[in-house]
Order: sequence, then structure tokens, then C-alpha cells
Amino acid sequence: MRWLDVAFDRALLESVLVGSVCGLIGVQVVLRRQAFFTMAMTHATFPGVVIAAVLGVNLYLGGAVAGVLAALAVTVLSRRRGHDASMATAVALAAGFSLGVALLSTQNGFTRNLTAYLTGSILTVGEQDLVVAAAVTAGVALVLAAVHKELLYTAFDHHGARAAGYRTGAMDLLVLLLIEAVVVTSVPAVGTILTLALVVAPAGAARLWTDRVAGMTAFAVAVAVSSAVGGLYLSRAFDVAAGGAISLVAAACFALSTIVAPRQGLIARAAHRRRRRTPPATEPGRAAPGEPVPATGS
Amino acid sequence: MAALHIDHATIAYDTEPVLTGVTGRVHAGEVVALIGPNGAGKSTLIKAVLGLVPVVGGTVTVLGRAPAAARRDVAYVPQADSLDPQFPVSVAQVVLMGRYREVGWLRRPGRDDRRIAADALDQVGLADRARATFGTLSGGQRQRVLLARAIAQRPRLLLLDEPFNGVDLVSQDALLGALGELKRQGTAVLLSTHDLALAQHVSDHACLLNRRMFGFGPTGATLTPDLLRATYGNQALELHGDQIVVAHH
Amino acid sequence: MHATLVEPFSVPFMARALTELLLLAVLAGVVSTHVLTRRLGFVADAMTHTVFPGIVLGFLSAGVDGVLPGALAAAAVTAILLTLLTRSRRVTDDTALAVLLAAMFAVGVVLVSRRASYTADLTSFLFGRLLTVTAGQIAQTAVVAGLVLTTLAVLHKELLLRAFDPRAAAAMGYRIWLLDLVLNLAVALVVVAAAQSVGTILVIALLVVPAATGRLVSDRIAPITLAGVAVAALSGYLGLAISYRASVSHGLRLAGGATVVLTMVAVYLLTLLAAGLARALRSRRTSDAVA
Repeated sequence: MRWLDVAFDRALLESVLVGSVCGLIGVQVVLRRQAFFTMAMTHATFPGVVIAAVLGVNLYLGGAVAGVLAALAVTVLSRRRGHDASMATAVALAAGFSLGVALLSTQNGFTRNLTAYLTGSILTVGEQDLVVAAAVTAGVALVLAAVHKELLYTAFDHHGARAAGYRTGAMDLLVLLLIEAVVVTSVPAVGTILTLALVVAPAGAARLWTDRVAGMTAFAVAVAVSSAVGGLYLSRAFDVAAGGAISLVAAACFALSTIVAPRQGLIARAAHRRRRRTPPATEPGRAAPGEPVPATGS
Repeated sequence: MAALHIDHATIAYDTEPVLTGVTGRVHAGEVVALIGPNGAGKSTLIKAVLGLVPVVGGTVTVLGRAPAAARRDVAYVPQADSLDPQFPVSVAQVVLMGRYREVGWLRRPGRDDRRIAADALDQVGLADRARATFGTLSGGQRQRVLLARAIAQRPRLLLLDEPFNGVDLVSQDALLGALGELKRQGTAVLLSTHDLALAQHVSDHACLLNRRMFGFGPTGATLTPDLLRATYGNQALELHGDQIVVAHH
Repeated sequence: MHATLVEPFSVPFMARALTELLLLAVLAGVVSTHVLTRRLGFVADAMTHTVFPGIVLGFLSAGVDGVLPGALAAAAVTAILLTLLTRSRRVTDDTALAVLLAAMFAVGVVLVSRRASYTADLTSFLFGRLLTVTAGQIAQTAVVAGLVLTTLAVLHKELLLRAFDPRAAAAMGYRIWLLDLVLNLAVALVVVAAAQSVGTILVIALLVVPAATGRLVSDRIAPITLAGVAVAALSGYLGLAISYRASVSHGLRLAGGATVVLTMVAVYLLTLLAAGLARALRSRRTSDAVA
């Protein structure tokens, strides 16, 4: 039974690494509202992985190349008149994924490979996966630490940052590429949906507990790592898919936070309402009063 | 040399000219108000001065340079309600952003930067709110924080997009006070507004815009009934003593 | 040409597949226009994943017959949850949506993973079986299409107003959440209807690409919708023909649904290119005029 334990230990280490890097990048994803892009990325890197498998080259390399192309496509398409980022993202998602499926359908073992891609197989990670995950985690952490103040400025006030002379387009692309790096590393090991869950749910939960980016980052990493490790043990205990179990634990952390978080949580808000007995002040709208709301994106 | 020199400029989004025939100057220590109805091209002109919108005819020269090359010495104050009130930043962090370009890549803001930011926040009368979350402030207070950020940048040219929109009287006074201080220190200020009374109060020169320039000169001599009627077109215009009212149909 | 473009559809299962796709094309052209104006791309994507646990539960409890009721139940639940989520503004919509998507899909994965034939089941749920569409399924799709198209036609002006100016719509006394719920349910029904043929995952293409293509050639709702229907129908037809020809003449198996989507994306890209060229020509003329 020793080999099983080793495989489980590997899975444990992988889940800690993937949890850390997903938690880190998740803060950027949540603050910049890039959840859909992250989702699209998990699907759009797929054809690259398939092509790499067919050609017999490194899977991470294939995923990375496809991801860069998809990120560029989203950036270019979303600048088109009448297209907004959401539509560009959806088009990239659909195009990338269908290309991957079409390519894969020409190969044998269609169904098994596809399932592994979607739901992941964290219990089969090898040493190479661990090395890649460790390297990407370190790299992403380093880049985020190096440019955190510029990322903060551009995320908070895009126009102001441009006016201050920052090349916001380049900063946006950098964030997309970081997201892509995380997706490409995580997906082969833990699957598309789990990657999305680990990126978005812990950071979304953290957002509810704190109003500062630093605190949010620490909280998100802690939640992501605990979800990954906790989910792994749960999957062993109940004999269910590890990817599904980890996603559910992360989602449960988020759901719990929406209820019990101080000030932002449902309970705190209900208590607040009861105390005040007056309706809270309405939030100021985004559009200037008197300015027409545009029907379509620019 | 004027801080801002605009000479027969035509500005276009895509291929559509939005604003034509703009000529004017803003000198150090001078406040110029851009006046015109919604959609007149006031924001577009400000964006052109920032080098964010192409100037397809004539010239726009900022501090003797092309607009995009002068950004480090130019500060821009956006409308506060264009920002996400849910964003997790403190007031102090927002003001400190004004120092980021000066601090540069890969370096953290130092003690001097924090002091400059704190002084700037003090100048708009919000030193006691430094630790508050940006989104918890009122609209007027947010606008003051954004002005403080611009002050912390120590610009030679300051651009403000409708700074008095939806701002309460207390904040309006604080904004006017801070602008007066900047003016005395020799900062050139260009602001857009559709509040004529406020424009008369705050600005030395006025520039009347509605898709093209209708007038530029000393505020008192420019905000005349004839020029205003020309600028605002068929929208009725009445004068009560020194007050000017634009009545919309 | 005849051999590629006409002959394949004399085979009964191909004719059925084409009928199904043409029905879906009309449905998708209309619904995707709403997805475009309301920027529901991510909602549509979430919906394609959230019906999954319903499909699994339906299958586990009642076999193949349980799939449609299961999917419908899950679709209704998610349409309601999504409407609620987008009403409260505590977390940004997209974060909450992503968590809901991942969580519900994970429920489906966990349920399926306890079955022995795990992978094959999952794949057919996700990718559908275009070539085994039955007359019964076509009838189901026709009913859904009739229902959804009638509803959207009746509420056309209200939905347009809500998309363009929600504040004005609310001020005029419309219940925004109700309009949102109707549209979310319509999207959910398209997902359910298309799930069995093109599969849940590829539905996202049907819900986005047709109107995205239409948007490239027009600034008005009606032409965008018509162009969307045309693009979806043309791609369905061409995609099927290509996939058939590849497998019969060249021994190359191409998944039918994926080929249809790829064809649609190709049409989109060609339109993008053509629109770009037209724009470049126009702008040259304008700058000549200015100079």
C-alpha cells in the first residue's frame, strides 16, 4: 500500500501548490472581474493540450501557446466596436473548446482523455507536474509582488492610470498572461472546473471579510490551500472525484462567507437593517447623471 | 511658455471629428474652465490633452511636449462616480497612488511619499479619513480624495473632469479652497463644468465648446449672453443680475 | 459539390440531425441577440454547466427518460438562483456566478464519479450525440422553440428597454427581476433543448456566436437577429456536411457538434475580416474628405 500513500502525498503537495497560486491570482481575478476570462481560459487552452499530446511535445507548452493566442484574441476582439469583453471572451471560449473537441475526436480514447481534462486527476500527478507547479507558483508570486502597486492603480482607476502614463493595455495583458499561466499549470493536474473554483471562490470569500488588498490576498491563499487539502481528504474518505470534492469545499467557504462575514454577510446586514429600521442610502450609479447609458459596449 | 498650448486643434474618435477649431492657452497659475452642454466635447478635449485621443488637425502642446510625452507632469482627476465604490482600497492608498509614477517600478513608496500624500489629503480637508475605505465616503468626499491624489503627484498642469458634479456644498468649498492653493503655487488648471456660476467664480479664462469652439478669453468677457446663446444653441438663456441660467427644454 | 453538400442529407439520421440544427439555429439567432444586448455571455456559459447535475440526477433516478425532466429542473433552479444573484450586489456578479457554476458542475461530477461507466456517461452528457437525434427529440426542440420564441416576441420591447436603460425601465414600473427571470429561463431552455444534440458545453457557441457575427454587420436589433439565424443555420448545414464527408471519404472522425461550432467560428472570423476591410476603406474615404 506504500505506493498509494506516495501518490496521495504527491496529490497533497500539488494541492498546496495549486491552492497557493490560485489564491494569489484569484485576488486579481476578483478585483478585475476576470472570472469569465478565467473560465474561458480553462477551455481555450484545451486545443493546445490536445495538439501537444498528438505531436508528443510537452502538454504545458501546448496549453501555454494556445492560452497566449486566446488571451490576444480576447484583447483584440474586445476592442472592436460593438463587442465588449464578455462577448469576446465567450467567442474565444467556444472557438477554443470546440477546436479541442474536434481535434480530440479524431483520436482514440476520446472520452477518457476529455473527462480527465474537465475533471482533472490530481491523484495521478507526477514529479514533473510538481516541479512545474512549484516553479509557476514562485514565478507568479514574484511578479505579483514586484508590480503590486501598479496592478492596484490600474485595477482601481483604469482611466486615471492611463492618464498618469501607465500603459494600461500592457498591464491588462500581463494580468491575463498570469491568469493563463495559473490555468495552464493547474488544469492538467486538477481539471478546468476545479481551477475555476480554486481561483474564484477563495478570493471571492476573502473579499467579504476585508476591505484591503493585502489582507484579502493572505485570506484567499489560506482558504484556497485549506479547501484543496480538505477536499482531497474528503474525496478519499467518501470515494468521490477529488476535483469535485475540492471545488465543493471552496464553494462552501464562499457560501458560508456570504452568510456570516462581518458587515458584508447576510446575517450582519439583516442585523444592521433591524437596528437602523431605515433603508440604507442608495449607491451612487456608475454613469454620470444625465448621461445616456450606452446600449452596447465600445 | 504656456503650460498648455492648443492651436486650431481638431480631435477625432475613430474617424469621426468630435471637436474642431479649438485654440487657447493655459498659463501657470491660471484656471481655465471648459464650458458647454453635455456631449459638447469637454471630456474629449481633456483626453486629447492627456494624449489618449488623437489630435487629427492642428496642435496640442503640453509643457512644450507632445501630450503623451508630458503625462508625468500632468495630473488628471476623473469623476468620482466613474470608479467602483466596492473596490477594497483605503483613502490613504488612493492618495498614495499619486506618487506611484514618481516612485517607479519595483519600488515601494517611502516615508517622503507618505508624507506628501498625507499633506495632500490634509489640503482637501480629509486628513481624518485616511484609514477609511474609499467607497464608504460621500460622493463629494471621494472627489476630494481624487483631487488629493492629483495634488500628491505635484503636477504642473492639472486636469479636472466635471469636478463639481453632484458635490455637496462642504466638499465644493474644500475643492475650491484646494484649487486656489494650487493656483497660488503656480499650477495650471483646466477643468470642465456645465455650472456657469461656478465657472465665473473659479476661473480666470473660459473656453466655450459645443462640437467646435465658440469663444475663449477672460471669463467675464467670454460668458456673455450672445456667446452663450451661440454655444448652447436653441436652449433658452436668461440672465438674472450676474447669474446666468441655462434653461433646458 | 453535390456529393458534399446535398447527398449526405438523403441519409435519414443526417436529415434528422439537420432538422434539429435548423430548429436550434432559429432559436439561437433570437436568444443570442438578447444575450448580446444584456451581456449575458457568462450567464449563458454558467447555465451550460449548471444543468449538468440535473441531467445526472435525472439519469440516475429514471434512466434516459429522466434526463429531460432533470435538466429542466436544474435549469429552472439556476435561472432563479442567477436572477437572485444578479439582484443583490454584495459580491460582483461574475464572481458569484463563477462559484455557482463550479459548485453545481462539481455536484454533477461527484454524483457521476460514483458510477462505474463514469467517463462515457459524462462525455455524452457534455457533448451530445448529434447523429442519434430521434424524431421525439426534434419534437421536444420544436416545442421549446415555439415557447421561447413566442415569449420573447411578446416581451420584445420590454426586454429591449431593460437592456438599454434598466433605471428608466424600473422608473416606468417594470419589474426588472421578472424580465431577467424570463430571459434567464429562455436561455436555460435553449441549453436544455440543445444539450442532447450538440451537448451542454457547445451550447455556449450557439448562444453567443450568431449575434456576435450579426453585430459585426449591423447596429440594429432586427438585422442582427436575422444575420444570427442565417449564420447559425448555414454553419449547422455546412458543419454537418463537412463532418460527414470527412468521415465517409477520408476516414477522419470529426465530432459533429464541434465541427458545426468550428464552422460557425470560421464564419464569424471571415465576417470580422470583411467588416475590418470595409471599415478601413470607409476611413480612408473619410480622411480623404477631411484632407
